[in-house]
Amino acid sequence: FSGAGGGNDIQWCFSQVKGAVDDDVAEADIISTVEFNHSGELLATGDKGGRVVIFQQEQENKTQSHSRGEYNVYSTFQSHEPEFDYLKSLEIEEKINKIRWLPQKNAAQFLLSTNDKTIKLWKISERDKRPEGYNLKEEDGRYRDPTTVTTLRVPVFRPMDLMVEASPRRIFANAHTYHINSISINSDYETYLSADDLRINLWHLEITDRSFNIVDIKPANMEELTEVITAAEFHPNSCSTFVYSSSKGTIRLCDMRASALCDRHSKLFEEPEDPSNRSFFSEIISSISDVKFSHSGRYMMTRDYLSVKIWDLNMENRPVETYQVHEYLRSKLCSLYENDCIFDKFECCWNGSDRQVEFFSLCTSGSYNNFFRMFDRNTKRDITLEASRENNKPRTVLKPRKVCASGKRKKDEISVDSLDFNKKILHTAWHPKENIIAVATTNNLYIFQDKMN
Amino acid sequence: MLGKGGKRKFDEHEDGLEGKVVSPTDGPSKVSYTLQRQTIFNISLMKLYNHRPLTEPSLQKTVLINNMLRRIQEELKQEGSLRPMFVAASQPADPLSDNFREAQPAFSHLASPPLLPADFVSTMPLESCLTPASLLEDDTFCTSPAVQHDGPTKPPPPALQPVKDSFSSALDEIEELCPAPTSAEAVAAESAADDSKAQPSESNIHKPEGLPEGRAAESKLMDPLPGNFEITASTGFLTDLTLDDILFADIDTSMYDFDPCTSATGAASKMAPVSADELLKTLAPYSSQPVTPNQPFKMDLTELDHIMEVLVGS
Repeated sequence: FSGAGGGNDIQWCFSQVKGAVDDDVAEADIISTVEFNHSGELLATGDKGGRVVIFQQEQENKTQSHSRGEYNVYSTFQSHEPEFDYLKSLEIEEKINKIRWLPQKNAAQFLLSTNDKTIKLWKISERDKRPEGYNLKEEDGRYRDPTTVTTLRVPVFRPMDLMVEASPRRIFANAHTYHINSISINSDYETYLSADDLRINLWHLEITDRSFNIVDIKPANMEELTEVITAAEFHPNSCSTFVYSSSKGTIRLCDMRASALCDRHSKLFEEPEDPSNRSFFSEIISSISDVKFSHSGRYMMTRDYLSVKIWDLNMENRPVETYQVHEYLRSKLCSLYENDCIFDKFECCWNGSDRQVEFFSLCTSGSYNNFFRMFDRNTKRDITLEASRENNKPRTVLKPRKVCASGKRKKDEISVDSLDFNKKILHTAWHPKENIIAVATTNNLYIFQDKMN
Repeated sequence: MLGKGGKRKFDEHEDGLEGKVVSPTDGPSKVSYTLQRQTIFNISLMKLYNHRPLTEPSLQKTVLINNMLRRIQEELKQEGSLRPMFVAASQPADPLSDNFREAQPAFSHLASPPLLPADFVSTMPLESCLTPASLLEDDTFCTSPAVQHDGPTKPPPPALQPVKDSFSSALDEIEELCPAPTSAEAVAAESAADDSKAQPSESNIHKPEGLPEGRAAESKLMDPLPGNFEITASTGFLTDLTLDDILFADIDTSMYDFDPCTSATGAASKMAPVSADELLKTLAPYSSQPVTPNQPFKMDLTELDHIMEVLVGS
């Protein structure tokens, strides 16, 4: 990956880092989701404090051909507020679980953001002109004394400093008893699904007072509950197809044309357990934390605790490829269970470029110690990189990292026992068109791009 | 105080065996398996109780921990059903659940430091165990009709492989162990020292001397519970911890730190080798092969109903 190979190898360089420098992390600043919009011009992050921050890429400077535009803050708004569920006497967190952009239809941008219970459609619009010359009002808004008005004039639009406004256009509430973990916009761009632990609902973007339940795995007797929904996504091309993953490591593909309630799956993807790796924690580490379709829709990628798997939609009994993210943690599962790290939900993402050529796909997913991993499906090579401020010289190629599982530690290697498990990279996003990736550490957002020659 | 036999030496082979579950049917390794299982069981229980009370706990996490507990409990039950009985001498040999009622009031006197097996006169019935009643609450806030669902069902679990005599011989070994170790490593070292003691067949009933530690430990867990009761109730489903079988009878749990004030959920910035993993590592040499315990994961709801009745009714 890093320079030694052929022309297809990407050399990743640090580009920018956003966020506080302090080691002392304010809880509200913890980044909880990262998402590029469809053009890649905008990059949205959500945090635990319920805020959304959107960065915009500068227009490329023709003279500076060696780097792509930088991302700067475009808009910041409070998407969700903490609420209190009086019935259960529990707080509802304002943490933003997911953000999904709608494709742009007009001058404004739209995105869906969700916390545990409520989804909101936000409109982000620019204002760079304002009307001036009202008859009854002064410029500062005070009303003019009517007796002083002697002539009439037509107000005209004059330029003003750019102002970016975010306003909530729809609020989709009260449809989820359990915590929402996923939202996914359909390829028809009119409907979307929201999934919680036990149910998936289908919404129309225009209608907020009604949603249709399309999956319900709540058992009649809650004592029998042994499996929950962990993620869901619509197929990128087929608007009646979606998948959802479970805590038992299965993925179900459903077709909404088959019935109103998709209780019966059309396909069930599950890999048989490897008996040599069986342990008390087998079930927990098989729980899928993220599922993402490839751009063509032919493949899907799933992330469980230790690995990334690529599935061919035509083959249900096992994945076509499996990549180990941090296999060295397998012997530490008991400790990771004790300190709860085993429940961390890592996301994964496909590369954006080369939509047509699936063969050259790259996958990214995060790990601990601020490491993240990339897998090249073509060359079968993988690389470990680190998101840290120490590597922050722009255009310097990132040095690959290596974790040594046991025994002799080579120079520059890091031993498993010195990994910092508080520094986890759960969220990564890839620009839809270029080789730019956004990687979120606990409270910082790193942007890396490939070295352009 | 030390068990018979020489001190265990550091084994180079240890590295290769990390993380593998030891088979319950192996000779000396069944002790490590049961210890490993016990550790995980206790950690799981602590997780269900030590929850941040402000927000609703993650249902996924609760379900996974619960599945873990069920699995272990089921294994214990299978093992337990092969021993004719190990109710204490003073109690009649009858279905464990019947004793549950009588056992309850006796619980309070166990709130004392862990007792040495040698000191303990085993009169405590097994049933006087912790049942996290706080988890026994139906989800009444469902907004959509309960659907009879047969979706995500797995194929029927494979048949149980009876663990015949390993359990009794495990108990023998444990009886040889030093009674009051202060660290997991110490216990592991001592248990390791006693390989030769493994006796394949055992027909007598053994006094469950490990019992009192189990009880004492459980009672320590019980104390701070009331505050957490409401909170864990909101997980919205029942856990079927019918600990009446409780076969943690055989394990000396005093080595585990049961201080409920220590949050089990706080992630350490460095992963210090927690006693759990250290314990597993030191016991790893005993695993000669990876295990595939084919245990069924079913629950016995009648027992559960009975427990509920006891806790809610009386």
